[in-house]
Amino acid sequence: MIEIIRNLARRKLRSTLTISGIVIGIFALTTMGALAAHFNQQLDVGVQYYGSNIQVGAPAGQQIPLLPLAKMDQIRAVEGVEAVFPTYSLLVNPGASFSFGGPAATIVNWIPEQVARMQPKTNIAQGHDVSPDTGGEVVLGTTLASTLKKRIGDTVDLPVKPADASRDFVSHPFTVVGILNPTGTAPDGFAYVSTADARLLFADTLPPAIQSSSELRQIAPGFTVYGKAGASLSQLDAIANRINAQVSGVKATKPSIAVNGYKQFVAIFTAITTGAAILALLIGGLSVINTMVMAVSERVREIGLKKALGAHTSHILREYLLEAALIGLISGVIGYLLGVGLTSLINAGSASGLQLFSITPTLTVETIGFAVVLSALAGVLPALRAARLDPVTALRTTN
Amino acid sequence: MSTIELIDLTKHYRQGKDVVRALDGVSLQIHSGEFLSIVGRSGSGKTTLLDLLGLLLRPSSGTVRIDGADTTRLRDGQRADVRGRQIGFIFQEYNLLPALNVIENVLLPLRYAKSTVKDGRARALQLLEMVGLSDRLRHRPDELSGGQQQRVAIARALIHRPALVLADEPTGSVDTQTSEDLLALMRRLNHEEGVTFVIVTHDLDLAAQTDRTVHLKDGRVVSDQAVERAPLASTSQHEEKE
Repeated sequence: MIEIIRNLARRKLRSTLTISGIVIGIFALTTMGALAAHFNQQLDVGVQYYGSNIQVGAPAGQQIPLLPLAKMDQIRAVEGVEAVFPTYSLLVNPGASFSFGGPAATIVNWIPEQVARMQPKTNIAQGHDVSPDTGGEVVLGTTLASTLKKRIGDTVDLPVKPADASRDFVSHPFTVVGILNPTGTAPDGFAYVSTADARLLFADTLPPAIQSSSELRQIAPGFTVYGKAGASLSQLDAIANRINAQVSGVKATKPSIAVNGYKQFVAIFTAITTGAAILALLIGGLSVINTMVMAVSERVREIGLKKALGAHTSHILREYLLEAALIGLISGVIGYLLGVGLTSLINAGSASGLQLFSITPTLTVETIGFAVVLSALAGVLPALRAARLDPVTALRTTN
Repeated sequence: MSTIELIDLTKHYRQGKDVVRALDGVSLQIHSGEFLSIVGRSGSGKTTLLDLLGLLLRPSSGTVRIDGADTTRLRDGQRADVRGRQIGFIFQEYNLLPALNVIENVLLPLRYAKSTVKDGRARALQLLEMVGLSDRLRHRPDELSGGQQQRVAIARALIHRPALVLADEPTGSVDTQTSEDLLALMRRLNHEEGVTFVIVTHDLDLAAQTDRTVHLKDGRVVSDQAVERAPLASTSQHEEKE
């Protein structure tokens, strides 16, 4: 062991170059891996989120896409339905329907019983939930809170007024009373207001003739339907089919369709980042192999000497395996830490609060393990070749 | 008492279409405790002969017997074991490991040898005392002169109490004075440890100070004779005995 460390210390330039080569490879692997891990994670929770409920809206072709609340009782009577909630949702930033890496920020009505059923688990991390009666209160998802740069007690105008808003654009002041825990999916970009407030904000988006209608309190643009807790996607699909068959004038969307839509949306990012991670793996791997092969090839003579002094091939292999694995470990840890540093910096510095990188325990084990195993293999193969030479040939090799 | 017998030893290399006969039917007997030199011009086969003696190479034909045992059929690992137990090496370029200090370099063969040497460290200290480097134990090779490095290599060659030490141009990289000092040292160890020395050299003055000189030419032995000791050499030998 002492010999290995002295060898590294003695040839400082050589060691620095060897370690740098591996560090760069592992650094690239860590950052790309963290990016891929992030999208995979988001895919997982997203699938969980979109697969946990059934969205019911007005049938296609209905002139004004609104549903009477009375339909909720009919839906509740359908076999398998456990709960139905009216859902009012509208964009936080009108006109911006797309957001990088996830669903667009949305204003939604907060119903405690519904939130309790949501998957993944959604809780208030700071502050408290919106009271149904007070009005003017909002609970923000984590991503939205940092995008809007709002903390508890701050006031936010919703919907956010776009730069090119018309003169009659209406928004209302809300006080931030709570911030949600990060879920990794849609609720991170949600602004939860009371059902009454959501209904008002929603009404603002409707044609004036309907806005003044006295029946406004009796309608909703859609319902969110839940089966029993832990219901499978196919069970929920079956419930959606039954709703469509048994309740007229509504259109229940099978959650599998929502899930597939979401998967397609995320798939492109996952494909790009996974591709980049594999590329980093290849480049990093080649860099590790190259540097180790070069480092060992320089020491053929030393291997020849050891063999002349009585070393068996197995002795040589053991020594070089240990040395190469140690180099891999040192470089792997440095490369990994640099990767963690850079990704945390980007995550923390992101103006939109968008978290693009996820450092998972699996990624940690994989990247450092990869560095160690690949370095060991790349170091042992040339050592094995040198150890198999005639000691004479190895000894007389000029480096 | 180990006797080494070389019986009709040949070593042929293929070089393109040609076959180079590096060694072409050499037979020799080397007795225990001898202080022997092998001389010849470069290309005469002396280093090849040394490599075959040290079981570093396999002959094309012929046999190397150590104490009557044929080494030709030994597997690589067994040959390594024989080297690790019975043979010490001294090279022209010293071949010390730069990452190890003096005493660690001397102890290196014990790392691999299934050695019977019990207290390796005490033995190393004793040898370093004998070669005059007791005050340099923690020095690295690059902190030593050429002559000092070769002394370390000589101590390393003897650490495992070998029966035979093979030296390939051991004084080829040092000046005349150092060369004589090194030879005197090897001679002394030959006496005190009773170990056989086979020294390959192209330096005829050096060869003249050994007990027996084998002259090689084109891979064959052209002469093999006891050295007629010059008066000066025998005097110095006499002094050492005292």
